[in-house]
Amino acid sequence: MSEHRRRTSPSASGRLLRNALLIVLALWTLAPLLLLIVLSLSRNWYAPAVWPSVWTGEHWGRLVAAASSQREALLTSVALATLTALLACLLALPFGRLIAQSRGWPRRWAAAMAFAPVAVPPIALATGMHFSLLKIGLAGHFGGVLVAHIIPAAGYLTLFFLGAFSAYDLRIEEEARTLGATRGAVWRRITLPILRAPIGDALALAFLISWAQVPLTLLIGGGLVRTLPIDVFAAIRAGDDARAASGSILLIVPALLAIAGVRVAVRRTGVVGL
Amino acid sequence: MTHSRRALAVGVVLVLPVVVGFAYALLGATDVIGGLGQPPGLARIQRVLSEAAVWRGTAWAMWVAVASTTLAALLAVVLSLVYDGTSRTDRLARALMNVPLAFPHLVAAAVGLLVLGQSGMLARILMFAGVIADSAHMPELVSDRFGVGVIVALTWKEAPFLLLINAAVLSGHGRGYQEVARTHGASRWQVLQRVTWPLLWRGMSPALVAVAVFAFGSYETMVLLAPSNPLALPLLTAERYVDPALARRNDAFVLAVLSMVIGLIAVAVYERLRSRIEDVGHV
Repeated sequence: MSEHRRRTSPSASGRLLRNALLIVLALWTLAPLLLLIVLSLSRNWYAPAVWPSVWTGEHWGRLVAAASSQREALLTSVALATLTALLACLLALPFGRLIAQSRGWPRRWAAAMAFAPVAVPPIALATGMHFSLLKIGLAGHFGGVLVAHIIPAAGYLTLFFLGAFSAYDLRIEEEARTLGATRGAVWRRITLPILRAPIGDALALAFLISWAQVPLTLLIGGGLVRTLPIDVFAAIRAGDDARAASGSILLIVPALLAIAGVRVAVRRTGVVGL
Repeated sequence: MTHSRRALAVGVVLVLPVVVGFAYALLGATDVIGGLGQPPGLARIQRVLSEAAVWRGTAWAMWVAVASTTLAALLAVVLSLVYDGTSRTDRLARALMNVPLAFPHLVAAAVGLLVLGQSGMLARILMFAGVIADSAHMPELVSDRFGVGVIVALTWKEAPFLLLINAAVLSGHGRGYQEVARTHGASRWQVLQRVTWPLLWRGMSPALVAVAVFAFGSYETMVLLAPSNPLALPLLTAERYVDPALARRNDAFVLAVLSMVIGLIAVAVYERLRSRIEDVGHV
């Protein structure tokens, strides 16, 4: 793979430029994270101060307090994202597999239809769906928000599994079946072990889609379902920067872990999805 | 063929919520439902679509989408060319670019507000350094007409995604093509112009459409960083949907239909570009 990469040895000025650019890049990517960390540990840090004068752990303490709305929002988000991940994966795995088995225009059309719920602006999707969810009494409830989160997640994961199954040779399963394996055994002994890494990645992706969701939660939940992003959103609008910062860090951490995990999985298996 | 039929059935199931949402929005836009005494018809659509604010909001959202996607693409291309090796610097640069991927759009926008706002970190540092006297001298970067804040936040967020795609393109067949061209005596510039750039462009083009359409509909980025005049299309839609004047609420459905049509056009373009890559890949 990459071992064969050759560069004509860069000149000294070229190397200097690359290193200087790296410093800019580090600032560009890490400064926002640092700002959030400092902000979440400060009190009354206002302009024109460039550095906080009072440090405190109170914004983090709020998360362990029993009657904290921020903690409740965190737990709602965890439940919502976990359920979204499981249900979307359950739908998308067979869906992606079925599309991968087709060829030509039906394959293209199916993929386009799977992409539609991802591509349509969420606020428009929410406006349209709100009515139907109101009709069945789900608007303003956890269940309604869950359905709303699953819709784009299932579309996205279907495309992901379409990619994974395109690289997967279904003849292995046929061979096992001719050798006498039952359907269940094929699943347990062949399909699942081969797809373990992509399934893990898919769960992480769907979790993150729900985890970061704002407009669908806002409109379908009608302010009654308070997730962590909604809490952060409300805090930033209310000028409570420190609360917004600690909430933001909580929103970033699972994603950082997931990205690290996905990278490890990719390196281990060499399978790259979508 | 049953495979084809099953695949299409799957597609229909996935697209169904969009179709239902579209149908409801259409019924609302034509006052068949929720019209509050307004007779069903095309009057509302005609009225809303003749508002200057609607088209300015649409054009504004398109402007920030195109500007941020272009900047993110430029950044991704430059970085994938500069840091394409296996040295520590190269790997560190690519690892750093993973950080923004972990930020939800909401958090990226919140940081944008904290850094670029009138009394944000940038203004404070410039004041500290004596570049500006007070925060009133800070140029408006948030809620500004040109959407600088929105564009910066979206560029920051989307460039790493495009960089990942570029890396995948180059580490696939790309590396081989480049080496073949070099062995045949092509100069570095020729390799870039004739091999690397066409590969990147072809690999990136569907992702560019996807990124642009996400940016176009990025409600949370715009609600925190965009100006109230012109009001971007996603914000205008949300505003009308909760308008205190109940008779105006159905306007949101007209705007939702407009957004969905734009989104679906993007899906069509995306699929065309993607299938072009797939077809080439199979040859």
